[in-house]
Amino acid sequence: MLEIRGLCAGYGGVPVLNSVTIRVESGDLVAIVGPNGAGKTTLFKTISGIVPPTAGAIRFEGADLLAVAPSSRAHLGIAHVPEGRQVFASLTVRENLEMGAYTEAGRRAWKENLERIYSWFPVLAQRAKAQAGALSGGQQQMLAIARGLASSPKLLLLDEPSLGLAPAVADEIFERIVAIHSGSAVTVLLVEQRVAEALHFADRGYVLEAGRVVLEGSHDELRNNDRIRQAYLGM
Amino acid sequence: MRQTSFRRQALLIATFGLAYAVAAAFAQNSYHQLIMTVVPVWAVMGLAWNVLSGYSGFVSFGHAAFFGLGAYFVALTQIGWGLSPWLGIPCAGVLGGLAGLVVGIPTFRLRGHYFALAMLAYPLALLYVFEWLGYQELALPMRRDAPLASMQFEDHRIYAWLAAALMIGAMLLTALIERSRFGMSLLAIKQDEAAAEAAGIRTLAWKLKAITLSGAMAGTVGGFYAVVLLVVTPAAVFGMLVSAQALIVTMFGGVGTLWGPVIGALVLVPLSELLYARLGNVIPGIQGTVFGIAIVAVTLLAPEGVFWKVKDLLWRLRARRLFAPRMQSASAAAESAAVAELPVRRKDRDAAPVFEVRSVSKAFGGLQALRDVSMKVLRGEILGIIGPNGAGKTTFFNLLNGYIRPDRGQILLEGKNIVGRRPYEICAAGVGRTFQVVRPFRRMTVLENVVVGAYVHAASDEQARSVAEESLSQVGLRREAQLLAGGLSNRQLRLLELARALAGKPKVLLLDETLAGLGGGDAEDVIAVIRRLAAQGVTIVIIEHTMQAMVRLVDRFVVLDNGAVLAAGQPADVTRDPAVIDAYLGKRWRVAHA
Amino acid sequence: MSAAQLAENFLQALTAGLLTGALYGLMCVGLSVIFGVMRVINFAQGDFMMLGMYAAYYAFGLFGAHTVFGAAADPYLAALLAGPAIFVAGVLVHKLLVSRVTGIRGSALESEGHYAQLILTLGVALILQNGGLYVFGSAPVSIPTPLSSSAWEIGPLYRDRIEIFVNQGQTVAAAIAVAAVLGFVLLMGGSRLGKSLRAAADNPEAAVYMGIDVDRAHRLAFGFGVAMTAIGGGLLASGGPFQPYVGLEYVIVMYAGVVLGGLGSVAGAFFGGLTIGLVQQLSTLFLPNQLQNSAIFVVFLVIVLLRPQGLFGRAARRT
Repeated sequence: MLEIRGLCAGYGGVPVLNSVTIRVESGDLVAIVGPNGAGKTTLFKTISGIVPPTAGAIRFEGADLLAVAPSSRAHLGIAHVPEGRQVFASLTVRENLEMGAYTEAGRRAWKENLERIYSWFPVLAQRAKAQAGALSGGQQQMLAIARGLASSPKLLLLDEPSLGLAPAVADEIFERIVAIHSGSAVTVLLVEQRVAEALHFADRGYVLEAGRVVLEGSHDELRNNDRIRQAYLGM
Repeated sequence: MRQTSFRRQALLIATFGLAYAVAAAFAQNSYHQLIMTVVPVWAVMGLAWNVLSGYSGFVSFGHAAFFGLGAYFVALTQIGWGLSPWLGIPCAGVLGGLAGLVVGIPTFRLRGHYFALAMLAYPLALLYVFEWLGYQELALPMRRDAPLASMQFEDHRIYAWLAAALMIGAMLLTALIERSRFGMSLLAIKQDEAAAEAAGIRTLAWKLKAITLSGAMAGTVGGFYAVVLLVVTPAAVFGMLVSAQALIVTMFGGVGTLWGPVIGALVLVPLSELLYARLGNVIPGIQGTVFGIAIVAVTLLAPEGVFWKVKDLLWRLRARRLFAPRMQSASAAAESAAVAELPVRRKDRDAAPVFEVRSVSKAFGGLQALRDVSMKVLRGEILGIIGPNGAGKTTFFNLLNGYIRPDRGQILLEGKNIVGRRPYEICAAGVGRTFQVVRPFRRMTVLENVVVGAYVHAASDEQARSVAEESLSQVGLRREAQLLAGGLSNRQLRLLELARALAGKPKVLLLDETLAGLGGGDAEDVIAVIRRLAAQGVTIVIIEHTMQAMVRLVDRFVVLDNGAVLAAGQPADVTRDPAVIDAYLGKRWRVAHA
Repeated sequence: MSAAQLAENFLQALTAGLLTGALYGLMCVGLSVIFGVMRVINFAQGDFMMLGMYAAYYAFGLFGAHTVFGAAADPYLAALLAGPAIFVAGVLVHKLLVSRVTGIRGSALESEGHYAQLILTLGVALILQNGGLYVFGSAPVSIPTPLSSSAWEIGPLYRDRIEIFVNQGQTVAAAIAVAAVLGFVLLMGGSRLGKSLRAAADNPEAAVYMGIDVDRAHRLAFGFGVAMTAIGGGLLASGGPFQPYVGLEYVIVMYAGVVLGGLGSVAGAFFGGLTIGLVQQLSTLFLPNQLQNSAIFVVFLVIVLLRPQGLFGRAARRT
C-alpha cells in the first residue's frame, strides 16, 4: 500500500532522513521505533508533504505520492495523527471531528463513522460540545485519533500516541488503537516510544537510528533482538 | 568582509564620502543639488533605523517621531530664540535620543508585531498634537544678515557637503557599533533573545542604548532637514512616509549592514525624485509608489536586501574557490589527532556540589512538569540526565539557568540560592548552556558567533576575540573560524555551540541534547570534545533522550520520568534498573526478557 | 455649563460614538479575520478601506439618475457592492503577492519571514495610496445621501432640557454594519467553509493533515477581511468627504480596536472598534477636535503596553 524508497529529507540543509526504505502492506500494523532525533516524525511529515524530500520516492497504492499537493493527500485516504496531538484547540470536539471528515470519503460516511468513533471513545460523545483545548491530555489524544478516523482513511499514521501521557492513560490509548486496527480494515503505521508494546502488536517493525533504518523484520524477528535494547539503553 | 580592520573600513568610508562630495560639487542646478542633499539625509535616516531595527530585529514603524521632533526643535528654536542651527541640530540629536529612551522604556515590553505597531502610534499622535498646537506650516526666517550662523547658504552645494559629512559620521558610528560588543549583542538579540540572555547579554540595557542612539541620529538629521527645506509641516516630518522611507531604503539596500541604507538611498531617492520631476504632474503619487514597488519587489526577490544578495553570491564563489576541496578532510584529521591525546580526568568528588537542587517542582497550567526533584551536581563530573520525551528534562535546564522560576524548592549554585535571578546573571555566575535546537547566528562567521559568547567576562573586544579563538581550538573548529555559520554541518554546529558556551568561561556547562541526530562517527567526535572539556575541569550536565552514546560518556546518570527522578547512579546499574527498562522499553519488554 | 447641558452633550457624544463605533467595529472585524487566520498584520487594511470608499462612490455614480431602490437606499447598496469588488481585489493581491511570504511556506522561514509579511503589506499600502492619487485624483469626494442631513429627535427629556439628535444616515449605516458582522459570525460559526477557516487559523499544519488547502483558506480570509473593511469604508463614505490618503487615518483606529478586542478574535474586534468609536467621540467633551485621533493613539498605546492580549481577549501570542 505504501512504499518508501531511498527517502532523504532534512531541515535547512541539515539532513535528518538518510535513504530510508519502508514497505507497508495493506491491512498491516507496522511500527517504527527508535530514539529521539532518529527522524521518525520527519518521516511522517515527509509522507504528509509538510517536509519536502531531497531524494527518494513515496508510492501510495501504486501512485507517486510526491506529485500530490500536501493538502490533497488526505483526500487519497491518508490520515496523519500528529505528534503532540495538535487538536484544533479553539474548536469544539464535534467541530474537530467534522474537520476530520473534510474529505469526500469522510463526508459520505459521516454518520456511521461518528457512531463508531463514539463507540470507541465514549468520552468524546459526552464532551462533544466542549472546546478541544479544555480536554485532558488523554482525551485530546483520543480526539486526535478519532479526527483521523473520521476521514475514513485507508492508512492511519500515528505519531507517538502515548507521548506525555500517564502510563495508565497510555495503556488505554494503546488498547483502543489495537481494537481499532483489528475492528476495521484500516492500515496503521505507528511511531511509538513504548518499544515493547509497539512491537508486540505490530506485524512488522522498523528500527530507525540517526535517520537510517538499522533493523527491520517481522514481529518475531524483532522481539528478541538485542539491537533494540542497545539503541535505547546503550548496553 | 567584516573581518577587515576598522582603519581600512574607515578609509573606505572616507573615500566614499569624499567621492560623494566631489560629485556634489558638479551638481549645477539647484534641483540636482537638492537631490544630492536629500540622498544622504535618507541614508542617515536609514542608518538610524538600522541601528535599532536592523541589528536588534525590533522593527520600528515610528522613526518619524524622532525625525519630526528634531525638525520642529530646530525650526522653533530658530524662530523663537534665534538659536543657530549649528547649536540647534546637536540639541535636536539629544532631544531625539531622549525621546528614544522615553519611548523605549515602555515599548520594549513588547515584541514582534506589537512592537512595530506601537511604534507606529508615536509619530501619528505627535502629528495631531503639532497640528493642534498650530504649527501646520512653520517657515524658518530668512537671515540674510548672518547666513553662516543661520546655515543659510547661497551655494546649495554646501548643504550637500554638510549632508555628506553627516552621512560619513553616521557610517563611521555604525562601523564602530558593528564590530563592538554593542553591535554583536544586538545581533545576538535579533537572532534569539532568550539565547542571548543565556549567553550573559543584558538584553534590555542594550536595546535601550540602541533606541537612544537611533533616536539621536534621527533627531539630528531631522533638524538638518528643517534647515534644508526651510519649511516644516507635520505631515512632512511626522508622516508615515518618513518612517516608511527610513525602513525601505534600509530593507532595500540590506538590513543590518553598514552599506545597506546608503545603497538604498543612493538608488531609491534619486529615482523617485527624478520620476517625480518628470511625471509628477501626471502621476502625483509617483514618489510613494516607487518606494512601495521597491519594497514589494525586494521582499519577494531579495528579502534581506541587495547587499546580502550580492555578498552571498560573492561568498559562494569565494568559498567554492578556497575551501571546498580540503576543508572536510583536514579538520577531521586535526580532530582525530586531538582526540588521541586524552588527558587524565581530575575528579574531586569530595568537594562541595556545584549545583544542589532541593525538592523543586514546576507546573504549567494543569501539567506537572517537575515534581519534587532533588539532585546534586558534583564538581568535575559528567552527569547525564536522561528520560523519555516529555519527562521534564528541558524544563529542568530552564530552571537551572533562570528562564523560569520553580513553584517550590531551591536551586543552589555553589551554595547560593539562585532562584529568581536573571539568565544573564546566572550566566555571569558561571553557568553556560546550549540548546536542543542549534541556534547559531547564521550570518556571522564561526569566530564572531563565539565572540558573542566571550563578552560575558572579557574586558575588551581584543580579549573577547582571543578567548573565542581559544574556545574554537578547544573544540577543534579553529580551521572553520572564518566560515559563515549558516553553512556548517550538523556536527560542526554542535561544536560551535559548545565553543560559544565555553567562551563564557563557565564552571558548569548545561548541554541540551548535544548528541541528538548525530551519526556514529560524528557523535564520537563530539563525545571526545566533551570529555576533553571535563578533563580541563568544566563540570558538565548533559541531557539526552537515550542512553546509547551516553553510557560511554557520563560518570553518573539521573533518570527522569514524568517529571520525577526515577533512578540515579552509575551507568551500569541504571541500565539494569527494572524501573528504567519499563520506562524506556515498556513492561512487556522486561516480562518477555526476564 | 449646566448639569443638563453636560448630560445632553454626554448623551449626544455617546450616541455618535455608538454609531461611528459600529462602523469601526465592522472595519476591525475585517482586520481581525486576516490576523486570526493568517497571523499577518495587514498594513494596507486602511487602503483597502479607501478602495471600498471609491468602489462605493463609483457604484453610486453608476446608479445615476435611475435610482434602483430610491435615493435614500442607493448609498447603502453601493457600500454593500464594494464588498464583492474589494473581495476580488484582496484575493488577487493575496495570490500575487502576499501568499509568497505567508502560509506554510512563510512560517518555514526564519524570524525574518515574520516581518516580510508586515513589510510587504506596507509596500502594498504605499502603492495603493499613491496609485490612488493617480487613479482617483487628490480632490476630496463624497457620496451625498439625503439621510445624512436628517435626524431623529429624542426628547425633549428631563423637563424639556435635554434633546438628542440621532443622525438617520449614520443609524442606517450602523445597522447595516451590525448586520454584516452578525452575518459573518454566522458564516464562521456554522458553515463548513467557516469552520475550515477557523481550523486553518487554529493549527495550519493539522489543517493540512485534514485535507484543508491552507493557502486557499488564507486567500479567502484575506478576501473576506478586506471586503468587510471595504463595506465599512463604503458606509463611512456617505458620512463626509474623503481622498486617497484617508486610509492612514483609519489604520490606527483599526489596530487600536483589534488590539483592544484581542488580536484574532472576531467578536472582540467588533467590540474593540465600538469602544474606539466611543473613545473618539467622548474625547470631544474635554479635548479639542484635532486631538480626537491623538486620544485614540494614547488609548491604543496604553492598551498594548498594559494588556497586549486585549481587554476582551484571551492571552494571545505576542509575536
